Amino acid sequence: MRPFKLVISGVGGQGTLLASRLLAEAAIRSGLDVIIGETYGMAQRGGPVMGHLQIGGEDRSPQIPPGEADALLGFEEAEAVRRGAVYLKEGGLAIVNTRRLHPVEVISGMAEYPSRDALMALLSEVTDNIVSFDATALAEEAGDPVTTNVVMLGALCASGILPFQEELLLETMRESVPARYLDVNLKAFILGKKAFTNHKRRQTGIQK
Amino acid sequence: MSARVMMMDEPGRVALLMGNEAIARGAIEAGVSVAAGYPGTPSSEIGDALSQVADALGFYFEWSTNEKVALEVAFGASMCNQRSIVSMKHVGLNVALDILNLISLRGVRGGLVLVSADDPSQHSSGQEQDNRWLAKMNCVPVLEPSTPQEAKEYTRYAFELSERRRTPVMVRTVTRLSHMRGKVTLGPISREKRMAEFDWEGFSYRVSGFDRLFRREKELNDKLKLIQEDFEELNLNLLKMGGDERFGFIGAGLSFNYAHDAVRRLGIEKEAAYLKLATSHPIPQRLVSRLIGGVDRLLVVEEVDPFVELHVRALAKEVNPKLEVYGRMSGHLPGEGELSPQILGEALARIFNLENPYRRRSELEERVRGTIFERMLTFCAGCPHRATIYALKSAVIKVRGDPRRVVVNGDIGCYGLAHTPPLNFEDTYFCMGASIGVSQGMRHVGVDCISLIGDGTFLHAGIPGLINSVYNQADIKVVIADNQTIAMTGFQPHAGSGKTATGKPTRRVLIEDIARACGVDQVEVVDPYNLREAEEAFIRMLESKGVSVVIARRICATEAVRMLRPRRPTPYRVDEDVCIGCRLCLNTFGCPALEWDGEKGLASVNETLCMGCGVCSQICPQGAIGRAGAV
Ligand code: SF4
Ligand code: SF4
Repeated sequence: MRPFKLVISGVGGQGTLLASRLLAEAAIRSGLDVIIGETYGMAQRGGPVMGHLQIGGEDRSPQIPPGEADALLGFEEAEAVRRGAVYLKEGGLAIVNTRRLHPVEVISGMAEYPSRDALMALLSEVTDNIVSFDATALAEEAGDPVTTNVVMLGALCASGILPFQEELLLETMRESVPARYLDVNLKAFILGKKAFTNHKRRQTGIQK
Repeated sequence: MSARVMMMDEPGRVALLMGNEAIARGAIEAGVSVAAGYPGTPSSEIGDALSQVADALGFYFEWSTNEKVALEVAFGASMCNQRSIVSMKHVGLNVALDILNLISLRGVRGGLVLVSADDPSQHSSGQEQDNRWLAKMNCVPVLEPSTPQEAKEYTRYAFELSERRRTPVMVRTVTRLSHMRGKVTLGPISREKRMAEFDWEGFSYRVSGFDRLFRREKELNDKLKLIQEDFEELNLNLLKMGGDERFGFIGAGLSFNYAHDAVRRLGIEKEAAYLKLATSHPIPQRLVSRLIGGVDRLLVVEEVDPFVELHVRALAKEVNPKLEVYGRMSGHLPGEGELSPQILGEALARIFNLENPYRRRSELEERVRGTIFERMLTFCAGCPHRATIYALKSAVIKVRGDPRRVVVNGDIGCYGLAHTPPLNFEDTYFCMGASIGVSQGMRHVGVDCISLIGDGTFLHAGIPGLINSVYNQADIKVVIADNQTIAMTGFQPHAGSGKTATGKPTRRVLIEDIARACGVDQVEVVDPYNLREAEEAFIRMLESKGVSVVIARRICATEAVRMLRPRRPTPYRVDEDVCIGCRLCLNTFGCPALEWDGEKGLASVNETLCMGCGVCSQICPQGAIGRAGAV
């Protein structure tokens, strides 16, 4: 099997760690090798976080080298571009949550949040396979903004890029998510899947 | 999820474990009976994992007041034939060093494993520090795993080695390994219960006589030679050498992976011999000599300092004087900072005259940096420290006229972010407890200053400094930001929290009692969520004579919300008819739950982030911010 490499980027508190763990557990269930590398110095306090997930393959390092990730899950717009531009392979899949989280530089008026065009121009230098939508809005629709990570997982699953069956991921979720949150999470997962397919449909529609 | 895995007694079962959890699991499989530590990134999850299962598995775990105490606790158990483990971040060992030297000199009885979590590139530390030097200085053997699976195995082996050679053993991890997750095959959990009995022969002056126990340097040096012999044969050190290679590399611990991957990517596997080194101290010299005697060029890959490289260079002088050695000393690898697959790829490309495979991305990364902000760290929404520092800064402006009239000496913890915008109210911070000491030196030479220290840090290393200030009449002003937990490293409890590491209620050690007992003239406790009250206390502190302490006490906001779950705090809201868009709340206070609505030209509150602390409502001069439902 060709190894599958995924970079997850976001901001502390967005549940990126849990997302990569769910994927890794599902991979183990399907008998695949997996390693996760995580950068989260002081995640709790608004810093950037990044997870590198590698399924299969013979690499030993917990970091994916630049330009080798098959896919990027960007939980926040600027963080998606920050990491995507470095790690995503040419033409790799970028799933981007367009919801922005303003850093303290922007809140206190010291810096501007870059425009969407400026950000996307950077990401487009490595891929045009970009699927973006407001995942946090969908999580809110599902009932809890905290499930943004599961919306993102739903979208990733819908892309068909994962080397294991969707059911394995759902099984992992059912076992690791506390029962009282499960419904909201499953709803978030389905909304994420729909968002991906809708986006793809729109894209092909435009091309026609 | 992880507690279940930690306790699983199903040998052969595969689990996804973090490096730190794997170390904890290794100790559990080895039958540890006493475990202690002080939280510090990147080591904290070792203790977190152990604390969750200690009661169920019948061993003792504590978060100690500091690393020195933790190591002493472990040693106490070891002298009574129990296996013990102690974990800390690299700089924690500086605190524990006083006893470490004596432990290795006098020897151990039950296996004693010291885990040092080093932090290359200072992801969450004030300095890089390579604790292999401290291990060498104190004659402590060092094992360096490269994967979570090895982290578990090496920890188990460390106990065995420690017991066999009667020496403490260091397991050295680094941030990337501590925080990496991978598949780990579980082993059986040892159920051996040993009698706890003090080893009179081994440690008692009364029984064995002072002279026999006291001078042991020679014994220690002999021991190290035996351990070196052990390492020459140890199957954890892997030499891969066909005999035709002219190039070789040595990779110690995690960094072996980087070289391994980079060599494969460049397609030079066949040309490269290697030694995967698990034991960086003492160096297995014969094994290393076999590699360096057979190649012309050698790359040494290791985290932080050229520790192995230095030894290899010395050895090469005898074994193969023509050997070209590349590494951190030669400049082929950077002299500081964490390595990565990319850095190794670039270094090997240079050595083999190949094209740098990452040039294009590095250029793009530069442009990304030019476009996107840095995303600086900041206090969480609702963090009581933000309020404390805001009130302190206002008090200083009121009393001294200018915030730059006093030097603010901060300390290690979340409140250390006081230097970040928009508060920008901290000048120095060094190491645990230093805020209190350095302020005294400043006072003695007439420089106005404030010490800003947290609860955990005060208990860890602040008390002797405070006593010193009273005794030596240094009239320092100390602000203790007390959020009742060690928040920075993951909300571990401490002596002031009222509960133990395993969640049992215990007597609360009150900081105000300590301060009064030390003889501090003026001690006050305030709630920083009440800005006016806090500011008034700080004003009294600034105007007081003598040593003065203000404790700003309010539980960490993140911890408070964790305890409230699944309920959420009631958020605050900006009344759009009242807000005049002056940006004061954003520009002077900067809670991350506050946002600027550019279209309306007004401030707003992000309700999913808001912790409902209400401090912003005290800052808005228009009274535009109020509890949701109330406006
Ligand atoms: S009440 Fe105000 S200061 Fe407190 S968390 Fe909410 S927005 Fe931030
Ligand atoms: S973790 Fe707690 S103490 Fe640290 S910044 Fe967040 S709210 Fe403040």
